Amino acid sequence: MKRLKIFCFCFFLLLLTIPFAHGEQIEIRILHVNDFHGFVEPYKPLGSEGLLGGIAYLGAKANELRKEKPSLLLSAGDMIQGDNWANLFQAESVIELMNVMRFDAMVLGNHEFDFGQEILKKRISEARFPVLGANVEGLDYLKPYIIRELNGIRLALIGIVTEDVPASTHPRNVAGLKFTSPVETVGKYMRELKNKTDVIIVLSHIGYPADRVLAEKVKGIDVIVGGHSHTKITKPVSIGKTLIVQAWEHGKALGVLDLMVKDGKIIKFEGHLEEIKPEKGKEDKAALAIVNKYKERVDAVLNVRIGEAEVDLDGENVRRRETNLGNFIADIIRSSSGADVAMINGGGIRVSIRKGEVRAKDIYSALPFDNYIVAIKLTGKQIKEALEHGVSGVENEEGRFPQVSGLTFKYSPSEKRGSRIKEIFIAGKPIDPDREYIVATNDFMAVGGDGYKAFGEAMKSSRDFSVMGGMMKGEKVVYSDSSKWLRDVVVEYIKEKKRIAPKVEGRIIEIR
Amino acid sequence: MKVYVNDISVDVLPGMAVKHILIHAGLLKEIEGLKKVYDEWGNELGLDGGLSEGMKIYVKNCRT
Repeated sequence: MKRLKIFCFCFFLLLLTIPFAHGEQIEIRILHVNDFHGFVEPYKPLGSEGLLGGIAYLGAKANELRKEKPSLLLSAGDMIQGDNWANLFQAESVIELMNVMRFDAMVLGNHEFDFGQEILKKRISEARFPVLGANVEGLDYLKPYIIRELNGIRLALIGIVTEDVPASTHPRNVAGLKFTSPVETVGKYMRELKNKTDVIIVLSHIGYPADRVLAEKVKGIDVIVGGHSHTKITKPVSIGKTLIVQAWEHGKALGVLDLMVKDGKIIKFEGHLEEIKPEKGKEDKAALAIVNKYKERVDAVLNVRIGEAEVDLDGENVRRRETNLGNFIADIIRSSSGADVAMINGGGIRVSIRKGEVRAKDIYSALPFDNYIVAIKLTGKQIKEALEHGVSGVENEEGRFPQVSGLTFKYSPSEKRGSRIKEIFIAGKPIDPDREYIVATNDFMAVGGDGYKAFGEAMKSSRDFSVMGGMMKGEKVVYSDSSKWLRDVVVEYIKEKKRIAPKVEGRIIEIR
Repeated sequence: MKVYVNDISVDVLPGMAVKHILIHAGLLKEIEGLKKVYDEWGNELGLDGGLSEGMKIYVKNCRT
């Protein structure tokens, strides 16, 4: 009996090797998403006619496609930092979701660093799938690559992330880490893996243009599953013998790549994007349960009392005069960035907050836009130009009216536009038109939003960015932290101070 | 970082996204209508898409 069992087992093993022994064609399927950013619910994208996305629908589609042939479900990074559903739980919700969806691997995106390294390590340890980062040195929790066997085919998955991570998140989030060249890193691992595997897949968070360069420079990559540029690649792109795919963003599409492999080579492929649209009753129940569980918690977290306002916080008059809420937010922006002054567009503040208990949801309502803090050097002359622009639409209560910190100014709304600003003081001294000051603002204004050209011009003359001494240094830009929304910075500030009582202090004086 | 929108150069910071270029160029409103953003190879881009040095994007009417 025992001999019979051994014989059967050996025969079974023999059967497994037959496809290779006879050079048979083997089919496998790669399912992929990228740049999900926590968008669990369907939404109507700008300019779109209907709802797209919904992670529970994507999960159901992935399950359906997995049944058809041996498959891997991969993520090309930036699964977090975006929607409150991910942010409020520092991505714990996202990892729990990915676990129930049975992801096979992911590569870190630049935003995976946004909550700091300790949180990142915690998230990686919670993941029931490997997290890759071959070009990240100093984070032991990451694997450079993994080898998976699928339907008898040995697949190598190498993960790489953009080298720009240090410039796109707060420097403290990447302290002690080194990001090496994706091209050199992949080249190094290719040499190590090419004789051990049949198919080499690079899970890449470097963006589609860089993926093309990678495919040109490093020969032998079979597939690049990309992310970062949020590119909607409807059909796989061939660069030499390398296929490049990417599945848009926010779970609005699931990438599907079918590979036919023979003798360790891809002999045929077919790929497309499955656009995800909500269809009632077609959700993956397990994913939906996680979505709903954290949706309830979102409400609870936003309802938590974070502090107390001893006065009403005026968000209604921010388009026509100095208000205490405008001062409060501008002060936080200035202190967070270490700038000389801060200037924000009143239109970015949407509602008032009543005296009494302040909840996170109050701040989220007052600051609903996904803005972050940027500080840039402007000359005194440019600051004056910016203020002139800011008050140029005050009669129509346009959103560009400034709320400021670290400076005071007088203006006359009856004068013609461009000649309304009468005097400006910074730190109690008259502004020097030739001196450079560090001006903090939000990313919207920093690129010239609401017509603030002075910021856009300063950006133009700022080149050669690098991170030194914990700050981003450019010729003109001294601070940029896209890892945290302004509203979250304000929430943290109130939590720390507990009681707030900002005042109108005569920072903006209208001359009649 | 220098990128190009409709072949006009725009300077933005590392970490900024497609939407920042559109704000800078005053083109964000066009996306609310019939136009979409494409890369130089004709692929549609999401507004939060990451940028890279020298990248070329185009705002134009949807092809469908």
